[in-house]
Amino acid sequence: MSAVTATKDRGWIIALIPLGTLVLFFVAPMAYMAAVSVFKNDPAAFFKPAFVLDNYAKFFAPFYYSISLRSFVQAGLGAGIVTLLGFFTVLFVSDQSRWLQRFWVILLLSLLCLSEVVIAFALLILFSQSSGIPKLLAWLTLWDNPRSLYPSFGAMMAGYVMLGFSIATLMLFPQVSRRDRAIEEAAQGLGTAPALLFLRVTLPMFRTALLAAFITLFVYFLGVFVMPTMLGGPQNWNMTVIIQDRAVERFNMPLGAALAMIMLALTAVLAALLLWLNRQQRAEDA
Amino acid sequence: MNTKFFAAAAAALSFAAAPIAHSEELTISAWGGFFEETLAEVVYPGFTEATGIKVNSIPQPADQAWLTQIANAARAKQAPADLSLVTETVVLRGQNASLWAELDTAAMANTGALIDGVYAEMDGKTNAVPALAFFDTFVTNTDFSADAPMSWAELWTGDWDGKLALRPNSNSGLLEITAVTFFGGYEIMQTRDGLQQVIDKIAELKPSVSLWYRDEGQFQQGLEAGEYTAGTYYHDVAMLSIWDGLPIASTFPKEGGIKSTAYWVAPAASKHTEAAQKFIDYMSQPEVQEAMALNLGIFPVVPRETMNLSDDDFAAVGSDIAPIKLQTEIHLEEGEWLEERFQSMLSN
Repeated sequence: MSAVTATKDRGWIIALIPLGTLVLFFVAPMAYMAAVSVFKNDPAAFFKPAFVLDNYAKFFAPFYYSISLRSFVQAGLGAGIVTLLGFFTVLFVSDQSRWLQRFWVILLLSLLCLSEVVIAFALLILFSQSSGIPKLLAWLTLWDNPRSLYPSFGAMMAGYVMLGFSIATLMLFPQVSRRDRAIEEAAQGLGTAPALLFLRVTLPMFRTALLAAFITLFVYFLGVFVMPTMLGGPQNWNMTVIIQDRAVERFNMPLGAALAMIMLALTAVLAALLLWLNRQQRAEDA
Repeated sequence: MNTKFFAAAAAALSFAAAPIAHSEELTISAWGGFFEETLAEVVYPGFTEATGIKVNSIPQPADQAWLTQIANAARAKQAPADLSLVTETVVLRGQNASLWAELDTAAMANTGALIDGVYAEMDGKTNAVPALAFFDTFVTNTDFSADAPMSWAELWTGDWDGKLALRPNSNSGLLEITAVTFFGGYEIMQTRDGLQQVIDKIAELKPSVSLWYRDEGQFQQGLEAGEYTAGTYYHDVAMLSIWDGLPIASTFPKEGGIKSTAYWVAPAASKHTEAAQKFIDYMSQPEVQEAMALNLGIFPVVPRETMNLSDDDFAAVGSDIAPIKLQTEIHLEEGEWLEERFQSMLSN
């Protein structure tokens, strides 16, 4: 009894490690960023400690909010596509034999080790007129004047898909592979058409898991830098790219920090909203 | 091998045994990678030999990060390096933030012969000295177009099959190219109206540009493969590809290549300003500039006639045609507005 109490009392010592890590690597840099975001930028020299809201006000210039809207649309679209693609893949894989399932999981895990840069370069080669798909189509005499397929929105989305695919599938796999197939079988037995079965039975069963995967990918895609810059054009550059331009290229750390803080807040609000909607829906279902 | 090793060891020991009165050491930073490594390997040993001052060469990160480090260190009266090789932007920002030590030109006799002189502040204090320069030129894929372009205007008028590649930042030199080629000089860049006119002129290029590149490797590879037909790029790097037999030409149009100069600065908190001056003086000698041109591909900051560079060696690093110069002060003053306008133009 006393031994248990003693362990309990000393539990906080163990908690100090994650807490310390959190403070050191997350809270402290965040606090610094928040502080810098209200500093005054001196365009000819350097930023100075101050408390001004100029940097935040700039967000409301048409240029910045249109870029932020673009970031959300691109990330949302990418996350949606990847989540759905991942879901179909997992449905397919979970019906395979144990061995094949293992093979797929190992393959998807190993895909995770590819960095954004490696994926972008691989796609550059695949989409380039001198070595990839356009050249193949020209060789097959299907394309007279082959041109590179990047920079383009489509090439960038292909990058998003490759980047997020294994994350989505690995997040969905445990739940989908352990699902109770009796429900689907019962619906099928009652004569539900396959499309309807998917929409009304299978999809709602995993709504929470799909939403979790979607939000994870959405937040992840908001921060991508290489895909928009290497595979996309100026029309596709997101807030991450613009923040890097301001903070690093233009030495305007306060503006970069303020833009980052706004994006962070908007992302948190959006994610919270999605989770709240999901909870409402679940309450309704019950 | 063994003999060499023992000889080296013996030499090292004899040096160690020799009484050295003042073994002063300078910490010198330069852009990490090829630059810093080559300077440390090829150039600094000559300085140590000439003056007895040892050099501790350190790589320096990107401009913004480095200036932040210098500024933070200055608050604690420290200097992360006694000398740094920096761009004009960093010189000006540091100057305005009083980060640089005042340098005595009298102690640096060789700087008197520099093409552009030393870098003086408003009140006449010197705190930066040109170290080296490099050019951006009009590069073309010769398989697509065998004729070298005569003028920058050909970016607008030439047929590039929609495969031009240009840099996407407003301070890349494209504004200056446009101002000089179409508006008779840099004066138009003095006002926002003028700058907007220049940006509108650049907007005409958009249909011809397939890549606004941020990654230099991506452009270079694509140009070599014929995926891009032309663009602007580092002259010295393009020369390396040309020597490798790749179908590329690097041309100085009649309006000139875009010249960027890098400078030596000494952080005010450094305690070795005198030794730093000796170093700058050493680096400003024609022989050293010549060695740097040959080993680093940089354009010298001393007059051509003071060096023994062959025509080929000179052409490999630059040209006699008067250069286009980056209007750094305008880019600092109007930077935020300019970048926003420029990027709006690109993304519309």
